[in-house]
Amino acid sequence: GSSVLCSVVGPAEVKIRDEKLDKATLDVVARPLVGLPGVKDKAREQAIRETLEPLVLSGLHPRTGIQIVVQTMKDDGCVLSTAFNATILALLDAGIPLKSILGSVTCIIDSKTNQILLDPTTEELALAKSTHVFVFDNKTSVSSTQQENDNMDQDNADSALGAVLFSDSTGLFTEEEYFECAQVCFKATQAVHGFIRTAVQKKLEKEYQQIQA
Amino acid sequence: MDVATRVIMGSVKKAIQVSTAAAVVVEAIKGDATLVKDIADRRFKLSFGSDYGAVEVQLGNTRVLAKVSCEVIRPFSDKPTEGFLMFNTELSPMASAAFEVGRQTDEEVLVSRLIEKAMRRSRALDTEGLCIVAGEKVWSIRVDIHFLDHDGNLVDAACIAAITALQHFRRPDVTVVGEEVTIHSLEQRNPVPLSIHHIPICVTFAFFDNGEHVLVDPTHLEEQIKEGDMTITMNVHKEVCALSKAGGIPMEVDQILQCSKIATVKAAEITAQIEEALAADAKKR
Repeated sequence: GSSVLCSVVGPAEVKIRDEKLDKATLDVVARPLVGLPGVKDKAREQAIRETLEPLVLSGLHPRTGIQIVVQTMKDDGCVLSTAFNATILALLDAGIPLKSILGSVTCIIDSKTNQILLDPTTEELALAKSTHVFVFDNKTSVSSTQQENDNMDQDNADSALGAVLFSDSTGLFTEEEYFECAQVCFKATQAVHGFIRTAVQKKLEKEYQQIQA
Repeated sequence: MDVATRVIMGSVKKAIQVSTAAAVVVEAIKGDATLVKDIADRRFKLSFGSDYGAVEVQLGNTRVLAKVSCEVIRPFSDKPTEGFLMFNTELSPMASAAFEVGRQTDEEVLVSRLIEKAMRRSRALDTEGLCIVAGEKVWSIRVDIHFLDHDGNLVDAACIAAITALQHFRRPDVTVVGEEVTIHSLEQRNPVPLSIHHIPICVTFAFFDNGEHVLVDPTHLEEQIKEGDMTITMNVHKEVCALSKAGGIPMEVDQILQCSKIATVKAAEITAQIEEALAADAKKR
């Protein structure tokens, strides 16, 4: 699988030319594992920055800068999703005030079987007809009980799309395929949110024990 | 407390830390009769990635990741049988908030040049062995060194990471039949290790108290209050691969010779540890 290391420093001093009078400035640096940073890394930086800017309560820290560095440690597909998840965990750990949490999942539609596959590896990505990266927030929940009811399915679909913070799709796909992928990824993101919750819980428990000791 | 006060408090705390550290360091060394601090102070830990050529070194709180990759390219026309060895040691703000993207500080330049001197100029890797077809195809080996955490002595950690990654790396096997060149995939044939002549190890020394006291493997705090520093690169065969003393207070010749003796001991220790780790990893695969 892929591995991404994220570091967050902030709110800290920012250069005068980057200073915003009423908000904190977000600066994202993405570094690849091999080679010099290129266009792909710049695209990754932009995606992370633009998705996080509305999430961070930057009004609480005006005239400061929050620097996020995302380093790819191992590349086996889904690096952007991994980077998103690493970034939100790092922001939580740094204590940056946030409006909500995000979770990211990648899926592909296989060219031979037409199946939706979650978390594709590099090999699977090569055989994909289309690739979809979704980022959802945790404000809307999935109603799990009414799956037979058509109305509820529509509600689920709406809630999935209402929670989208970022969506990037490449390849050949129909509208139905896109919405189906969104649904599937939305359900999968609940697991990511659960993991984030558990991780923060464990960290706080450990810190509490250290303070008690 | 608003942000401005927090930032000022932060820098005041740092200043107090540094001056206290200076006093503590000097006192500690004065108290101890020996000239040099205990050599076995900061042990380093090696961990390998699942891919060949990915190594992470942890030297106290300093963390460095090295990744080796290879590519087939055309050689220079004046050196048709030589392959390429390239190092990329760009420091990112992840290691320290003092590093900026796009702007190289003096420290970054020195680290980069030291790695080049220690690894490339000492001919640790056999570049002639990277030739596939003379004048047309050679291997270009690229070592990307990522600094994840800066707690002093980036050079030593980077050097260990780089040379271990080069030893750990496997390049695809190649068969040349006349004019035809077949580069076998990793599934078809077992990949081949690089030919490494010797293992250069960097040992950095920091000088304090007007050259009176010498510290091996300085931490970040110690680096900030040092008066001068020197890096000796040696291998197990007691050959000096590189010696770098860029500025700082002048040192006596006998002090330098004593440092080189310490470097010999350290190089032997570190080489043994690297070989042990590589053997343990080879067994796992």
